[in-house]
Amino acid sequence: MNGPYGQRSLISVSGGTARLMAYSLLAITLMALDFRGRYVDHVRDAATQVIEPLVLLIDLPFHGADRLAEFWTRRSELVERIRRLERDAVRKNAMLGDLADLTVENARLRELLDAAPRQTRRYLAAELAAIDLDPFAHRIVIKRGRVDGVEVGMPVIDAGGVLGQVEQVDRNTSRVILLTDPDHALPVQILPAGERTVAYGSGRVDRLRLNDLPMNTAVEVGDLVVTSGLGGRFTAGLPVGRLVALERPAGQPFARAEIEPLAGMDRNRIVLVLQAVPAEPREVDTPPAEAVEDADAGAEGTESASPTAGEPADASESPAGDGATNASPDAAAEDRR
Amino acid sequence: MSRRDGREGLPIVIGSLVVALALTVVPLPVLLEPFRPYWVALVMSYWHLESGRLHELGPAFALGLLVDVLTGSLLGRHALSLVILNFLLRRFRNRIRFFPPWQQALAVGALLFNDRVVHLWVVGLLERSWPGWAFWIPPLVGIALWPWLFLLLDALRSRRRGARP
Repeated sequence: MNGPYGQRSLISVSGGTARLMAYSLLAITLMALDFRGRYVDHVRDAATQVIEPLVLLIDLPFHGADRLAEFWTRRSELVERIRRLERDAVRKNAMLGDLADLTVENARLRELLDAAPRQTRRYLAAELAAIDLDPFAHRIVIKRGRVDGVEVGMPVIDAGGVLGQVEQVDRNTSRVILLTDPDHALPVQILPAGERTVAYGSGRVDRLRLNDLPMNTAVEVGDLVVTSGLGGRFTAGLPVGRLVALERPAGQPFARAEIEPLAGMDRNRIVLVLQAVPAEPREVDTPPAEAVEDADAGAEGTESASPTAGEPADASESPAGDGATNASPDAAAEDRR
Repeated sequence: MSRRDGREGLPIVIGSLVVALALTVVPLPVLLEPFRPYWVALVMSYWHLESGRLHELGPAFALGLLVDVLTGSLLGRHALSLVILNFLLRRFRNRIRFFPPWQQALAVGALLFNDRVVHLWVVGLLERSWPGWAFWIPPLVGIALWPWLFLLLDALRSRRRGARP
């Protein structure tokens, strides 16, 4: 093994080259498998076991500095912030009162129509870990993991709209794949036309692509794009973005459009993970503000951001734009700093 | 500088690699983000050139996988890059070792540029887009950092050696 390094002996060079070839081939195979269908998730999982403590360790000083900064914040600033939050809370509570009314009404109408009851959702506030990932990887790390009940596939939103979905869960952290990752596809609906299609990540943090709109599509620039709920992972009606460009290239079978996401892909501190709660028909009759989550939250001190609106979101195919659309800003507004 | 004393100090090798891994993902202001050097490659190059550690391709591959998992990039991308870097270092080791530090920095810089080409190949295949001029800054930062990193790790190593009877 300790061959004569750098010596031009033919044997050592060719042996080294053979090993280089073998390892390169292994790396390329891994890349292909990872790219083509995530066949190597168990490799990633195993390696993450080694890495996770390091992630939390790196995050520690930044977390501490935040705490310290909070500790040294001037009293007047704090008082002002509390006032602002109180004003916000009063306004939101008024809106929630309306919503409770609507929820009851909606449940009655659904009973009349014999439709499935709405599904209750919990919002779990999650802080981002202070980690800069590879600029080409559209992923973020959140400080909530298996112990908090996060599972693969859960939608992640912020105050603006859909951010992505949980891709990988570890003990105390999870990785979220953003909508903008080229690997990500999201079933969406464009309002007000109601057209359903799929939004693909573009690899750019401020754009999503729609590749297969029909040529005679009725959508226009400026239209709101929401989730259609067809994939089964995202509930219907969560805001995704706004249509900013639409072109009908001559000679192509489909029109193309670009969406600007409403969620702040790269400027969030706190995001919300949507957890589905098993459907309980009677749950619908209670006011939505009672489902206070986060009491069982981890010991990370993120309780400052406890979402309270256990807002039911739409599980079936009703046109979006009802209560579900309002839910995310409501629940998340408290989290804004 | 003989390889025998290079064999000592496994804790310091691992420690420096962990610090390099941490520096790889430590958050930077958005403005400084493109200037982040390829820490793991720099530290690996140092140990490869100056001691008997990390000569094999296997550890380089494993290290690359850790970087991939840590940064969330495609599994195997950094593994490929570090394996190729390790191989080239091994080919040119005897020449690079006896350069004065600034010349060494240039040689390492050339290897880092080559490494960027490897990355460009992978990224280009995936993203179908040119990554922009900022993509080429890290090797330059690496060149600027190399002499200092060299002195720092040398000092750490010799202090350790001096502490021993």
